[in-house]
Amino acid sequence: MSELTIALAKGRLLTPSLKMFESLGYDLRMLHNSRQLVIESNGARFLIAKASDVPVYVEYGAADVGIVGQDALRESEVKVYEPLVLGYGACRLVVAGAPNLREAEWKTLTGLRVATQYPRCAQKYFAARGLSAEIIALAGSIELAPRVGLADLIVDVVDTGRTLRENGLVELDEIFKSQAALIVNRASHTLKVNVIRELIEKINARRKT
Amino acid sequence: MLPTSLDKQLPEGVADLFFNDAARKRAVERTLAETFIRWGYSEIIPPMFEYYEALAAEAGPQLREEMYRFFDRDGRVLALRADFTIPIARIVGTKLFDRVMPLRFYAIGSVFRYAEPQAGMRREFTQAGIELIGANTAEGDAEAIALAMTALRALGLDDFRFTLGNAAYVQATLRDLALDAADLAALRETIRRKNAPALAQFLATRPLDAPQRDALAQLPMLWGNAEVLERAVCVNDAARAAVERLRAVVAQLTHLGLQDMVTLDLAEDRGMAYYTGILFEGFAQGLGFAVVSGGRYDNLIAHFGPPLPAVGFAIGVERVMMLQRARASIAPAVIAQAYDARVATARACGQVVEVDVMNRADDALRVYARVRGAREIWWRDGRVEKLG
Repeated sequence: MSELTIALAKGRLLTPSLKMFESLGYDLRMLHNSRQLVIESNGARFLIAKASDVPVYVEYGAADVGIVGQDALRESEVKVYEPLVLGYGACRLVVAGAPNLREAEWKTLTGLRVATQYPRCAQKYFAARGLSAEIIALAGSIELAPRVGLADLIVDVVDTGRTLRENGLVELDEIFKSQAALIVNRASHTLKVNVIRELIEKINARRKT
Repeated sequence: MLPTSLDKQLPEGVADLFFNDAARKRAVERTLAETFIRWGYSEIIPPMFEYYEALAAEAGPQLREEMYRFFDRDGRVLALRADFTIPIARIVGTKLFDRVMPLRFYAIGSVFRYAEPQAGMRREFTQAGIELIGANTAEGDAEAIALAMTALRALGLDDFRFTLGNAAYVQATLRDLALDAADLAALRETIRRKNAPALAQFLATRPLDAPQRDALAQLPMLWGNAEVLERAVCVNDAARAAVERLRAVVAQLTHLGLQDMVTLDLAEDRGMAYYTGILFEGFAQGLGFAVVSGGRYDNLIAHFGPPLPAVGFAIGVERVMMLQRARASIAPAVIAQAYDARVATARACGQVVEVDVMNRADDALRVYARVRGAREIWWRDGRVEKLG
């Protein structure tokens, strides 16, 4: 069958993802430090896309498989298979706010404003708790929103928690843990069944060593 | 005119079709109708709208939510058809249940769903499908699959593969679990996404006995060729029967020489809420979404009348058109400058010949012919000019 197209998320997952595929025998040197977005190696085509776009590439079949954080995956709500987690890119999606909110039992407040880059995840989280939160979707620098009075809370990913501390915020609740995952288009899963199986087995074997 | 005026716009999810698109759509529909007819299927034309109650009965929450609903003057709720299977089940259950079985019907036309348009699935989109009613046999299942494959081939789509599962296997495996509704829904979604890591985590924290745990844990890996049927763990007779049925369908497909076109997938239970047995999806190279989707629904007709088993599928006509887009167009083979004997002869032989009725100058006609994608111009004086 035809070769695989593999979409890799830009950002903090890129370097470990490149390393993983290099350990499987692909030559991806050109993707490390250049602005190149597509290369071919060993019968596979690699493309680099914005993390939040990788699920879309894969759902539409523009890429057969993708490597993406589970945070971006949950937010996208695409219909894909996700057979593997890869053990890197660990982070957590949390609710955070000013320290006094912990005491004020924020879950009893009404009319909360929540700034986030994850509007769907945030919407679901607050709706499931019967909280009528107003979700404010921002594209970056979420920690700024409570400081300038744009929002009471933020929903964002944290790694070490340093950024939160530096902005005078504390974690109030964890929504989910995230790490890098392999996702597969449903059509490719059938049309390229053997190539996909081989790739999953290779990555699995690699992870166990 | 105000820029907000709607009188020259279209609502999201509908489209105007003309020229190439309209002709190609009709060509696809014709090819499919001819194929279905050759297999003994006759056309059935359900109404475009009927009582919401009838359409919603077995539709499942998502399809129900996506139905276009409105009122008649007496305040009764009506809905546009969202698929063909439910209206056909109503017709058979109320009017045709005492006929000689099986009944073989095909239907082609618009269906309506209030959903986000995606990959050819507009809010008004076209389905072409069949229902084989009255036979609960592996032969019936295999006929539906084989006909879907034949239809794709007739459309010139040769590079396809089908996923084949059995909703009964997933249902049987989940049947006796001591889980509440929310847990069960989460479990189903995890299995659908083949999310093996999350599934392992889930199973480690729930009170399940060993065979149940084994059966669930392996589900995300149960895809591939017929060998997966040997690996499937069966927790009860219903699960065993579901695997047995798949084995029989595969045997039948092998008999038809189609076994290599199928990937088995025991974790699959997607599709319509009314599916009770085998289900299948057809994927073609070049499109990331299924172009065919079908399955067995043995309990649907009983909602409207006596119980009758049935199996069917629908082909997404717009998705077929997306796949064919790069292929043949309806561009005329020839632009003739005037009517002469050649035109009638060529048309009689099936060639598409367009005659200029605008009295264009030679240069203008050349430009026009290129724009139309014609391969030749036949000049009035008998010359034939090939266009590169």
